[in-house]
Amino acid sequence: MKPIPRRWQQVHDWFFGGTSDRWLAALRIGLGLQLVLYCITSRGDWLQMFTLHPGSFVTRDLTEALVTLGAALVPRVSWLMSVGEFIGLSEATILWVVWSGLLAAGLCLIAGLFCRSAAIVAWFFHLSAIKSSALLSYGVDNFTSIGLFYLMLSPLPDHLALDSRWRKWPPKKAQLQSFWQRVLQLHLCVIYFFSGLTKLLGSGWWNGESLWRALTRPPFDVVPSEMLIHGRYLFIPLGLGICLLETSYPIFIWPRRTRLIWLVGIIAMHGAIAVLMGLYLFGFIMAVLNVAAFGINLFRLHGKKVI
Amino acid sequence: MRFQRAYLIGFALHFFLLVTVASRDFFAVLADGSSYLPAALEPHWRVLEDATFTVLGQKLPPNNPMRETIAFYLHAAGIEAGYGYFAPNVPYSYKLVFQLTYPNGTTEYELPSVGTPETGMRLPTLLDFIAANRYEPLRQLILKMLAYSVWQHHRDALKIRAVFGAVITPSMAGYKRGDDPTYAVVCAYDFGFTKTKPPRP
Repeated sequence: MKPIPRRWQQVHDWFFGGTSDRWLAALRIGLGLQLVLYCITSRGDWLQMFTLHPGSFVTRDLTEALVTLGAALVPRVSWLMSVGEFIGLSEATILWVVWSGLLAAGLCLIAGLFCRSAAIVAWFFHLSAIKSSALLSYGVDNFTSIGLFYLMLSPLPDHLALDSRWRKWPPKKAQLQSFWQRVLQLHLCVIYFFSGLTKLLGSGWWNGESLWRALTRPPFDVVPSEMLIHGRYLFIPLGLGICLLETSYPIFIWPRRTRLIWLVGIIAMHGAIAVLMGLYLFGFIMAVLNVAAFGINLFRLHGKKVI
Repeated sequence: MRFQRAYLIGFALHFFLLVTVASRDFFAVLADGSSYLPAALEPHWRVLEDATFTVLGQKLPPNNPMRETIAFYLHAAGIEAGYGYFAPNVPYSYKLVFQLTYPNGTTEYELPSVGTPETGMRLPTLLDFIAANRYEPLRQLILKMLAYSVWQHHRDALKIRAVFGAVITPSMAGYKRGDDPTYAVVCAYDFGFTKTKPPRP
């Protein structure tokens, strides 16, 4: 048994050991790109997703009523709408202001300009948008929200951001860099562990049926069934492989020897989901979170330690 | 050192909530009997799920400040839901078909239309919600809204029947035998629409 002070010191060192801020640069740029892509891909239906007018998919007030049933403090588009209406803007104008604000925040994050403000605006607008369209939200929105929450709290700007280069802002504490990277790393471990464990409890993941059904389930049936059936012998090993890759992620992502294998495996899995099921945004955000959490330290490309 | 301790305490609380939410959804899957674990264990999983509700303040009255604060934090951090995607088994997908009837008696079929493929990927969330929701008036209201959005593009239609059903895709063995996907109707509603005359000048 190690004495408690020594254990405490180990925990402390693990969290605050210090690291470079390249992981934060990856997270910032990745989330910026994700926001820009979200804006571009949702532009065609933006008004219909949020308007109060009959003729939308589901009117905003109904969605917000459902979401805020037990969470009245959760940000939503109606709050922004109230502010906009107070200064005399129409509903459509306010919705486009929100869309433009998200796009601008995404572009600022990519460039690293006004990083902190852009991260806060992005988090608030994005959270408001996904809560007010919750009946049309899926995993990608949730993971973007997680990423933006950590980004907003992390020690911005990183050394690659324009804020650091042009405005000569000093680099932040390396201890805090490592703390927030650890938080993101542990969060990903929880995500994959529970995801894999829950899959292992279903018989469909043991006999390949779940993988088959996931790929043939409309609207994710991007690849024709007649093509998929040729690869039916791969479904059992692939289904089990996914379960094992996810469940054992919290174990094998840490040692240097296995980290690359697990990281490549997980990113390949998300890449396959993107291509085979048409979930490009989902695949991208998961790759961003994984690379920021575990990938950056694997690639030492002229890396310079900031502090 | 003091600020580091504060950070660690904050992280411990955050991580505790994260794991509790993930456990809640995990126990819910087990309690629902959708896993292959013995059914005799289901009441125990239900007790554990119940305990997570208590921890997360979800048994407090809806306007309780503690409940509100925890709920806000969970949503703000994006950790209000667990991570059992496509688990333990991949569920059936749902389909909504609109049958439009015109004054001359002709009928036409339409699907919910979206402007971009990305929104098309979002529609299953809505359809899954309609399927899971057992409160009839809410289900009817959502379907009426969707029917109305279709009517906007077909304003001559007198009546729209919204037929909501599950798409049962064949298993691998069934597909090899030549089985086709089948459509099991869950519910259907008729909605009447009339064009309002423009007001007189």
